Amino acid sequence: MNAWLVTAFVLMLGLIPCGIVCFTRDAPTRLVGLESASMLMVLILLLLAEGYQRSFLFDLALMLALLSFGGGLVFVRFLERWL
Amino acid sequence: MTIKILLYAAAAIALFSCVGLVIMKDVNEKLHYLSPPSTVSIFLIAIAIAVREGWSEQTVKAFICAIAIVLMNPVLTHATARAARIREFGQWVSQPHERAEKRQAGD
Repeated sequence: MNAWLVTAFVLMLGLIPCGIVCFTRDAPTRLVGLESASMLMVLILLLLAEGYQRSFLFDLALMLALLSFGGGLVFVRFLERWL
Repeated sequence: MTIKILLYAAAAIALFSCVGLVIMKDVNEKLHYLSPPSTVSIFLIAIAIAVREGWSEQTVKAFICAIAIVLMNPVLTHATARAARIREFGQWVSQPHERAEKRQAGD
């Protein structure tokens, strides 16, 4: 297991606090937890792509970064108006 | 060695931000902890990839990813704070009593 995979595993532990925030707090705070988790997932995908030398995982990380922004804005809109 | 230092620094910053996310009480305080992983950690990881791969496709993709996140995350953070405030007070602009409190604090 190289340094890239070790770092990816350590960052996966960071998803636990995000999950705690997502499952136990009120709606706006849950959204913050979700945004933090998606940010961590982008980092983890970059590390896994480099650790396993898989080029397509870089595309996945880039797409997740772009789509998590759009998804976050949709959640924000719903939170502001209807939820 | 350089790569390990960059990676472990990125992981440490991201993990401390996650801990701060749990510890802080208010949603506005929690929002501050989105910034370190989306600015420092992702660039440290992109630099580590650049050190290992040199000028390659992977490096370009990692830096595009980092730049995209650095540009978009402040927008999302502001939108979230705005939504939280509208949800709490019903509107985005400051309330009369808030303006009065600010004036008193200024005096």
